[in-house]
Amino acid sequence: MVPKIGVFQIMSTSLIEVSELTKKFGSVQALSGLTFNVLPGEIYGLLGPNGAGKTTTIKAIIGLVEPTSGTVKVEGFDPIINSIIVKSKIGYVAEKPILYDSLSSRDFLEFIASIRKIDQETVNRVITQLGDAFDMAKYFDVPIATLSTGMKQKVALIASLIHQPPLLLLDEPLSGLDAKTSRIIKDLLLLHVQNGGAVLFSTHIMEVAEHICTRIGIIYKGKIIAEGTLNQLKTKTGNQRQTLEEIFLKLTNEETEIFDKTRLLGEAFFKNETA
Amino acid sequence: MWWGGFGRGRYDTDQQNDLDLTKKALRIAKWDKLMVAIFNVLAAVIPFTAQFFGSPIIGLTSAIALSLAVTFGFTALYAIQTLSSFISADSSVLLVTLPIKPDKLSLVTLFSFVRSVDYIVVGSIVSQIFLVAFYTGSPIAVLIMLVVSIMNEILAVAVALWFSRVFTKNLFRGGRSRSNTLLRLLFILIWGSLLMGVSLLISLPFYIVPSLESILFNSSQFSTLILCLFHPFSAGITIANIGNPIAAGFTTLFSAISLIIYVGVSGFAGKWILKTVKQISVGTNVKLSRETAKDFSIKTRKPLFGFVIKDLKISSRNPATAFFFALPVLETIIMSFLLANFEVLRASTLLVSTLMGGIFVLLMPLALLNSEGSGLEYIKTLPLGLNQIILSKTLISTLTYLPVPIVLFVMAMLKPLTSPLTLFIPVFILLAVASASVFEIQLFLNTVTKGKISALIHDLKKLVIGITTLLIPLAAYSIIYLMSFSHVLAVLILGVVSTLELGVAIYLLRQNKK
Repeated sequence: MVPKIGVFQIMSTSLIEVSELTKKFGSVQALSGLTFNVLPGEIYGLLGPNGAGKTTTIKAIIGLVEPTSGTVKVEGFDPIINSIIVKSKIGYVAEKPILYDSLSSRDFLEFIASIRKIDQETVNRVITQLGDAFDMAKYFDVPIATLSTGMKQKVALIASLIHQPPLLLLDEPLSGLDAKTSRIIKDLLLLHVQNGGAVLFSTHIMEVAEHICTRIGIIYKGKIIAEGTLNQLKTKTGNQRQTLEEIFLKLTNEETEIFDKTRLLGEAFFKNETA
Repeated sequence: MWWGGFGRGRYDTDQQNDLDLTKKALRIAKWDKLMVAIFNVLAAVIPFTAQFFGSPIIGLTSAIALSLAVTFGFTALYAIQTLSSFISADSSVLLVTLPIKPDKLSLVTLFSFVRSVDYIVVGSIVSQIFLVAFYTGSPIAVLIMLVVSIMNEILAVAVALWFSRVFTKNLFRGGRSRSNTLLRLLFILIWGSLLMGVSLLISLPFYIVPSLESILFNSSQFSTLILCLFHPFSAGITIANIGNPIAAGFTTLFSAISLIIYVGVSGFAGKWILKTVKQISVGTNVKLSRETAKDFSIKTRKPLFGFVIKDLKISSRNPATAFFFALPVLETIIMSFLLANFEVLRASTLLVSTLMGGIFVLLMPLALLNSEGSGLEYIKTLPLGLNQIILSKTLISTLTYLPVPIVLFVMAMLKPLTSPLTLFIPVFILLAVASASVFEIQLFLNTVTKGKISALIHDLKKLVIGITTLLIPLAAYSIIYLMSFSHVLAVLILGVVSTLELGVAIYLLRQNKK
């Protein structure tokens, strides 16, 4: 009997299990021994500077990137060997929404719903609710090419949610969105995990991570250098009053670098004024 | 593993070889333009090589008129392919942020506009001038031909630009209403008809030149005067009669006046092109209109059917691929036209007709894949196998081939056949077309791992493999027939070879499943 957690049927205790994951692109070491897991009912925030390996990690989980070594399991399935099973369990939003420009949102969602074999009644109910919530009416029948980045992001989000997957992989999901939609999505993610689903998302917005993440993994040079709840991270840095941004900069050794670079920039731009 | 393969080597191709890829892309664009220009020059020359009979003046008139018509159509067609993306490009967004004066901005845009059609326009003009110099030896005729050729090309580019604007506006309008859907369909049909007209002109000058000559030769004074009113006849009549204008009398005068009016019109067209390019440079060329959706209902389908519908929608909205939908109509008309000239349908006629239809169709899978664009990145994240992509595109291309056996079958009802068994040739080739499509798509999807540009570079290789797949059964038929003079045996071998090819294609599809 498959255990049912909330509304989702989860086949294993962890929704994502990443163990000693490494990935090399030619001479570039993108990931080096990455290990973490995401449990049902969790929003796991992957935080890291540009080029730390966040997107590569997410792509390895969905099976778009084949690991050089190590293992990735989604509900116990390997994303490369069991790619179709894994992809049916995941809702994915890429950092830059790549959609079919000449299709309208309606055409695009029809295509996705057909591929995912969702019954018409369910999909229409979900799309009507999400379409209303995201104010899509004006933009539903125009080509995606003519939509703004934020609107494209909304379409990508709806496409990732229509099959009601237990696992959401969101790469910078809130970039380009207005405050209202951001808030709706944050609430939606909370509802999703309350019903037994899980979310893995990468973000640069510390405030968002601070407010909605159950656990945070700080990724730096392809490795998780710190992991835990916000309080656990604060304890690690030895200062309970620190914000996540301060913790992040301290753990990634970027505090001194930022200070040096700001000083140099100040000298370069405002030399005459400060002299 | 195909899916996993997409991520492999991304840093290598995307970052380290950016410069190489850019150079390759430029090289491809130049080659592409050069090949089209050479083809256009050939199309301009062929009408002059058709046999002139009767009056040399009438022959020259027909050749000039047809050459101008062909280059007009071909330039317009090529320009439509390139200018549609030029019009909808977001380059203006980047350009306007630069500290450049608006007139300089227009110059940059104008330059890139000119570069997109330069080879083909220059090729047409130069070849036509040389031909007229060769046939008339008159400097005045050459001078007039220069003006006429330039005018012809300006009008062709103006028509293409107007058409591209309409296409882009039509695309951006969106909407689900019946009128919008009908408008889109109508546009595709017009598009297809244009292609069809040009293709007929290009393929059949040897039939058309004598027919034109015959019309001109037998026409009354009045109907010749009417012809003088229309481009390109006005140009043909004026230039051909330049050696002896008095003898032609009113006809030359009338056509010369008409020609001057056309030159004036092309002047306005040129100004309109400049104005439009200026609008493109500041991004105000296409005004968007949006319809508010009344509901969010969608219609789900079986996955394969959903994929086919998606492919059809994408390719019909892409200016560079939309005309492929005219292929079935084009095939039917060309084949009917060709076969109508034969009293008996011989096996050789059927072989050639089948091959021609098949080659047209084999362009379809590559066009469908190229129109996917960055969407290929998205479908990697969906729970669907490689075979679904291959089958969808194979189904569309095989369906576009269907008119070939149908037309041949209808023709066989009207005309006697050397052997009724030869009707199986196009039917068996249907299998070869399906196999060829599978091979082309499989190869494309394998090379796509090396980056989009490298995938495009190898388009020619894929087409060669597709055509070879088509040729093998036809060659097998010919060899066996020449050895045995038995249609039964030859058709049997053709069937066996086509089935074997399909077997290989199915084996490949099964391997993908593993």
